Amino acid sequence: MPFVLGPEQLVVALLGVIIGIIFGAIPGMTATMAVAVFLPLTYAYDLETALYLLLGLYVGGISGGLIPAILINIPGTPSSLCTTFDGHPMALRGESERALKIGITSSFMGGIISLLVLAVFTPVLASWAIKFGAVEKFLIILFALTVISALSKGQMLRGIWVGMLGVLISMMNMFSVNNTYRMVPNFFKSEMQSGFQLLPVLIGLFAFTQMFEECEIGMGAHFSKEHASGVTENMKFNFRRDFKGQSVNIIRSALVGTFMGILPGVGGSAASLLAYSQAKSWSKHPELLGTGAVEGLVASETSNNGLTGGALVPLLSLGIPGDATTAVLIGAFMLQGIQVGPLFISTHPKTWYTILVALLVCNVLMYLVMFFPIKWISNVIYIPRQRLYPVIIMMCVVGAYSTMNGRMFDVWCLILFGAVGYLFKKFKFPSTCFLIGFILGRDLENYFIQAISSRNGSLSVFFTRPIGLVIWLLIAISIGYAIYDNRKDAKR
Amino acid sequence: MADWLRINVVYSTQHWIFPKITICILIFLGAIILVIEGRVRAKAGKSVISFSGKFFEENYDKVKFWGTIALLAAYFALLDVIGFTVCSILFLFLFNTLFGGKQGLTPKYMLTSVIISVVSTVVISIMFGTVFNITLPSGLCTIWIKSMGITIF
Repeated sequence: MPFVLGPEQLVVALLGVIIGIIFGAIPGMTATMAVAVFLPLTYAYDLETALYLLLGLYVGGISGGLIPAILINIPGTPSSLCTTFDGHPMALRGESERALKIGITSSFMGGIISLLVLAVFTPVLASWAIKFGAVEKFLIILFALTVISALSKGQMLRGIWVGMLGVLISMMNMFSVNNTYRMVPNFFKSEMQSGFQLLPVLIGLFAFTQMFEECEIGMGAHFSKEHASGVTENMKFNFRRDFKGQSVNIIRSALVGTFMGILPGVGGSAASLLAYSQAKSWSKHPELLGTGAVEGLVASETSNNGLTGGALVPLLSLGIPGDATTAVLIGAFMLQGIQVGPLFISTHPKTWYTILVALLVCNVLMYLVMFFPIKWISNVIYIPRQRLYPVIIMMCVVGAYSTMNGRMFDVWCLILFGAVGYLFKKFKFPSTCFLIGFILGRDLENYFIQAISSRNGSLSVFFTRPIGLVIWLLIAISIGYAIYDNRKDAKR
Repeated sequence: MADWLRINVVYSTQHWIFPKITICILIFLGAIILVIEGRVRAKAGKSVISFSGKFFEENYDKVKFWGTIALLAAYFALLDVIGFTVCSILFLFLFNTLFGGKQGLTPKYMLTSVIISVVSTVVISIMFGTVFNITLPSGLCTIWIKSMGITIF
């Protein structure tokens, strides 16, 4: 089995995991942001080494969120929201170290189970997707757009709308078939031949938007030890006692997380909420959940790490990102000129096996880095953000500037898309939908044109192929479910 | 096949086919959203069109918010005039001071700001620009050492 693993990769993965944990542990900074900010570093590496860094950031970023969730009752990343329900009460009861260690161990197990699912499912899905023509690819992307919107909780129409806006913005370039510009002002023709670049758009949307919001509220809100007052410890972690009778819960929560991850566009928060509610309804003592029960903590942390492997499945088998962070990862593949999709595993077996090994290595490193020095590493939540943001701005500049080998235009795009993302937040449009629309927009158009050109412009081509009809059915189900879910939410 | 199910793919105009479809969907969906949300607003007794609530948070930090945007614009404008390293050190210090607020003017805080801006900029500039050979913005303060093939941006 050929894969890349050497001392250099281990160092890079360790670096990624540690930085990821820091980003994950500081409230307001996310795994997505970590991956986006460090993406340009990967120019210097080959793809395999870069993957160790990026997957390390991803795994670390998702896992780090549990530290502030348990210690100061604020989730470090959205996906550790449910960890606060039981983690913080445990800490207040004097079991902070125990809670942290249970959380870390659960995260590790969730990551490993999702890795197994990734290894088994991706080749199956890819071999199925290999039969796809332009029609099916177009419909799959359409399906992905409806799924993201369906899951942007009670905002389905807004999600679809802003996703389509992303599609439109992605088409502001020179169309490759007839080399003609559309929607580009005359004075930007040389800069926008290939449209807005992915990297500045996503750094702008995720890092700059976040920074603008923090500036608005003054950025002063950093946490001191006082926020963790009342947190003491008098109960030690004991694997056998703490995980006794949790095996069903672990496997269920990890699978919930993984399969939520496979659905394109679902974030970690949705996955952990679902796993938490499942744990509650299957529990023998549902009334204890929310008061510091090990079960709840295990469910939340297993599922959000379960998401990591799951979100990579549609990315590697269909070329469609499973969540915001994998949408950024797709950028790493694009930068290296590698097409992810049904043919990826057969044409790049080495990269595929490296991804599996890297994910395993990063999970093990995450466990080692967090479990033993947890008391020391949990201090990262006190790093003041006003010291970090200036450095992040500089790293964003390096990343944006080097996207097209040195253009200030891409740097200015950071402010532009930072402002766009800020407006989306203010008017309650989900920016993840916009990003996914933007990433998939050009493919969506190309497959559409290819499909109708082959049939002399007839739209009936989309309704005549059997696999196409199955995908239409999926689209219908996804929209139907969204409408049902919207209604249910509205009634509440 | 019915004619309305056919789109004429003409070579010279096909770059507009999909954008036009997208714009139509945007207008159509936008109208639906306005109607649905307008009805909800009307039911709640609010005015249908005007936005309720203020755009900014109450008592938002005007200095930091607009200051950040102004500093960013100045930083980006000067990058390829001054050169990456010197410009970044200068602006990292300014960002540190701005984000620090009142605290940002105490000597101890400023000393830390200087250390952070110099160390992080030099590390990034040497690691990316010199070691990895990634193009960074160059300007007046960029140093080219031709004999050794080294550039410090």
